[in-house]
Amino acid sequence: MLKIDNLHVRVAGREILKGLSLQVNAGEVHAIMGPNGAGKSTLGNVLAGRGGYEVTQGSVAYGGRDLLQLEPEARAAAGVFLAFQYPVEIPGVNNTYFLRAALNAQRKARGEAELDSREFLQLVREKLKGMQLPPELMNRAVNEGFSGGEKKRNEIFQMAVLEPKLAILDETDSGLDIDALKQVAEGVNALRDPKRAFILITHYQRLLDYIVPDFVHVLADGRVVESGGAHLAQELEAHGYAWVRERKPAEAAA
Amino acid sequence: MAIERTDLQQLLNRRYSAGFVTDIETDTLPPGLNEDVIHALSARKREPEWMTQWRLEAYRHWLTMTPPAWAKLNIAPIDFQAISYYAAPKQAPKSLAEVDPKLLETYDKLGVPLHERARLAGVAVDAVFDSVSVGTTFRKELAEAGVIFCSMSEAIREHPEIVRQYLGSVVPQRDNFFAALNSAVFSDGSFVFIPKGVRCPMELSTYFRINAGHTGQFERTLIVAEEGASVSYLEGCTAPMRDENQLHAAVVELVALERANIKYSTVQNWYPGDEQGRGGIYNFVTKRGDCRGDDSRISWTQVETGSAITWKYPSCILRGDRSVGEFNSVALTHHRQQADTGTKMIHIGRDTRSKIVSKGISAGRGQNTYRGLVKIEKSAANARNHTQCDSLLIGKKCGAHTFPYMEVKNPSAIVEHEATTSKISDEQLFYCRSRGLDEENAVSMIVDGFCKQVFRELPMEFAVEAKKLLEVSLEGAIG
Amino acid sequence: MSASAAPFVESMRAAALPASGIGWLDAARHEAMQAFLSAGLPDTRNELWKYTALRALEQRGYSARDESASTRMIDEGTFALPDIEGTRLVFVNGVFRADLSRLDDLPQGLSVQPLSRALVENPEPLRFLLSRHATEPRDSFASLNAALASDGVLVRVAPAAQIEAPLRIVHLGAQAEAAIACHARNFVELGEGACLRLIEHYAALGEHAHFTNIACEYVLQKSARIDLLALQDSAVGAALFRRSDFHLHEDAQLELHALELGGALARHELRIALDGDRSRAQTRGAFALRGRQHVDTELLIEHHGRDTASDSLWRGVADGRARGVFHGAITVHPGADGADAQLSNKNLLLSEGAEIDTRPALEIHADEVKAAHGATIGQLDEHALFYLRSRGLPAETARILLVRAFCAVALSGVEPQALREHCDALLLAHLPRENAQ
Repeated sequence: MLKIDNLHVRVAGREILKGLSLQVNAGEVHAIMGPNGAGKSTLGNVLAGRGGYEVTQGSVAYGGRDLLQLEPEARAAAGVFLAFQYPVEIPGVNNTYFLRAALNAQRKARGEAELDSREFLQLVREKLKGMQLPPELMNRAVNEGFSGGEKKRNEIFQMAVLEPKLAILDETDSGLDIDALKQVAEGVNALRDPKRAFILITHYQRLLDYIVPDFVHVLADGRVVESGGAHLAQELEAHGYAWVRERKPAEAAA
Repeated sequence: MAIERTDLQQLLNRRYSAGFVTDIETDTLPPGLNEDVIHALSARKREPEWMTQWRLEAYRHWLTMTPPAWAKLNIAPIDFQAISYYAAPKQAPKSLAEVDPKLLETYDKLGVPLHERARLAGVAVDAVFDSVSVGTTFRKELAEAGVIFCSMSEAIREHPEIVRQYLGSVVPQRDNFFAALNSAVFSDGSFVFIPKGVRCPMELSTYFRINAGHTGQFERTLIVAEEGASVSYLEGCTAPMRDENQLHAAVVELVALERANIKYSTVQNWYPGDEQGRGGIYNFVTKRGDCRGDDSRISWTQVETGSAITWKYPSCILRGDRSVGEFNSVALTHHRQQADTGTKMIHIGRDTRSKIVSKGISAGRGQNTYRGLVKIEKSAANARNHTQCDSLLIGKKCGAHTFPYMEVKNPSAIVEHEATTSKISDEQLFYCRSRGLDEENAVSMIVDGFCKQVFRELPMEFAVEAKKLLEVSLEGAIG
Repeated sequence: MSASAAPFVESMRAAALPASGIGWLDAARHEAMQAFLSAGLPDTRNELWKYTALRALEQRGYSARDESASTRMIDEGTFALPDIEGTRLVFVNGVFRADLSRLDDLPQGLSVQPLSRALVENPEPLRFLLSRHATEPRDSFASLNAALASDGVLVRVAPAAQIEAPLRIVHLGAQAEAAIACHARNFVELGEGACLRLIEHYAALGEHAHFTNIACEYVLQKSARIDLLALQDSAVGAALFRRSDFHLHEDAQLELHALELGGALARHELRIALDGDRSRAQTRGAFALRGRQHVDTELLIEHHGRDTASDSLWRGVADGRARGVFHGAITVHPGADGADAQLSNKNLLLSEGAEIDTRPALEIHADEVKAAHGATIGQLDEHALFYLRSRGLPAETARILLVRAFCAVALSGVEPQALREHCDALLLAHLPRENAQ
């Protein structure tokens, strides 16, 4: 589904990703872990197409297409979804209205029929079930005045409605208390599907207690320095990131 | 990868959809202004002598005045002798049934059908074409409720006692340069009278259309709401695309007596001129409401997307105790449009309240200025004002300016003003795009959100129209 | 124009300085006087003077100068500031007083000279500075200043010099035989990377009427930084007109605190030009007025360079029949991308007869800009007042406490602490003791 090959990315003149490679297949859940500054969020932003990220080398193939050539909205229509670390507030734009406009824009781009407001509301009601998102948030402006936890849950809710093929969660766990974390994890688990892949970007292992990944990758200094199964996250938790560096000094320095 | 500013240049040339000309025979006075012209105009309208004299007084004073220069507008001098002060379709209709089909077609095209079968439900329309009203819908229904809604010309003939009592009582003949000119040569406009205790059963609306070339439009509107009466009124404006600048100098007077409530909404879409700044309407308007009675309320809502130049400050004189004034505005300038607009809230009565919400959007080389005065007189104990002015910049060559004036003479008053200027953030654009919206949709959604507070004040149908208008006006703004 | 016949204008004409023997200077003074005479005093149709009418001033004549200014007995205690020692220049009724000043032992890199002395010793370097006013379009008071100022201060800070101890410029108004007029012109230049602390102190002995017109110009070269406290506590009868022009080059920084307390009619026009990239200005100010005082602060900030920043916080309190005027105008010029401009102006109106007029303004011609302003006119928060009273404070004490707190934001950052406390005490002395409200 997604094949990242030797990706080099510069931000504001500084190289952040230095030859990152990663393959993600449909149905898989990959966790990307790593210390601050390793380039985790950069990866998410590059995949979603944020401005200011310059790809100097390497490639990203998604469903056989060159993902990097697509505009952000075309990526969304193709099924790429980024749950933002810091979702922006958009004053005056109604949350429900926004989501319907986004869903219909995507459906239109894919040649599918757009949903009328009745169908859409039905969908929203259905997806809201079990989301524990206060219904009144749907009538507020996008992210405006939402608490940190509400913003994150709103991102997961958007994901549930938009049903992406590849969901990238950028530190969705940060700043959440344990209850909110569980709710977010439940939301994600409910969406696990053989046709859908997840990339979980996280600093801490605790999210992975609730969403058990198929693969864990450790990102350090702009590339993947170690990959393994879910157990790798526990070892990291036990030993810290320094442990990876010590174990793989030769590779990390290469 | 950077967000590419998608090439929307082709959209820049999207036409102003109201820019067509109706080919109709017109009775036009030759260009120029003198006392003879005023006599001729007054005679054409079969006005009583007092009206002719009133015009002449205004004209004589106007001769002593100079155009205001304080606004932040760059205007070539206007040759007032090159303008024709009267233009009207040759066949004056007696009733809507007799209106020239070409005119009906014109209003159909503008989305304001006048004929019986397609009228806007629940909205009575007075259609003003160049200098005259061509018809008013739902007259019978309104008359049953006791509401008078007709053209100003007709009101002067049919209801002289009311017109004499109120005309010029809010905006005197000598108020300012353009108001004096209007008082001398005003052609037509709407007259609304809501008697004591009556809630007007439907929305009233006037649709102003400039058609003839080399003419000015000088409409005069007077709305009087007696004790406990209430009315919601809306005006819309369009004009053909021409290379010349045409002058529109209107005066609108609102009088609200005790407990009366007047809501006045404007969707102004005069031809704005082209990208180079050629042509477009010069819109110099004096609008003022007088909350004469206690507990009265006047609210102005305006969506200004058209005109090459906009100079207007719909104001409220809060004379009655506990009276309330509101001003809600969206002003958009694109290409080379210039707008200097805002309001005055003059607090005189006790416990008076005013609220100002102004949203300015500048794109292209547009210049957008908010200019507002909040004045609390000594007598206005416990007066309150809150003003919020936000400006949005789209592009590098536009300007957004905020000039509020606050004068407070009463120590129990509270006056607050807040203003911000920002551009659409890349952050917001990216968020919308990453959810699948294209850039143009994302911009219009963010702009719509920016204006939401004001659109909410518009009657439903017009809110939709205003939103569309904004989208069309902004086309090509990114690129 | 009727101004030509007005006593004020006539008295200024009569005050024209005798020939100095320096040709270019006399020409410049003459030209400036002509400019003033033809323009007269500004009227309220001039937007910058909208709320300050000069009709009363116009009807008043002032004596050309105080002939005894150089010999009057002055008690140094009248202008003492706590914990502030060191270099100072003292002017009495516009005349430099070497006996009261301290110019010995200047820190290295600081050069200070009275203008009158410089004109005698070596006038040529001043030629550009003093003659360009006649040709630049300026306001009436600047023209008047250029025509009549024969004294003032020249301050130069050498590149990289860090002047830690504050330099003080004191203008004292002392009782004279008649209502006198004085004019002073100051010029302060900081070389690249230089740093200066400056206190401008306007104080008075007595309650007499006089007219003072002071023009200051500050040039901050690249990376220079000035920390300026302007403390205005003039006599009750004073008409004081000040204009301060700041030019900031790349990375230069201005930190300004202004306290406006005295004067019958006091106007301070601050023009801050953020010319260089990344230059920044932080301004803080407050006025506390009573009686029939009329105080007008015009703060005009121009963003020209890229990534410039201005942050302004002003407070006003008016009691009695006083009138406070504030105009805070920020202009972001084309090309000044990355500008960040913030302005807040809050005012308290404490009595029936008082008036406050405020005008924050934003003029934005660039795109990547963050700009915001806010202004309020109102009263003390009743809830806060009640809270304090419910904790046992008498109403008046509570009120004064709140007014002080309201103004205190304008003083935060004044160093040393003793000086800040002194400013606070001066402010307190100007606050209404008893309030009918």
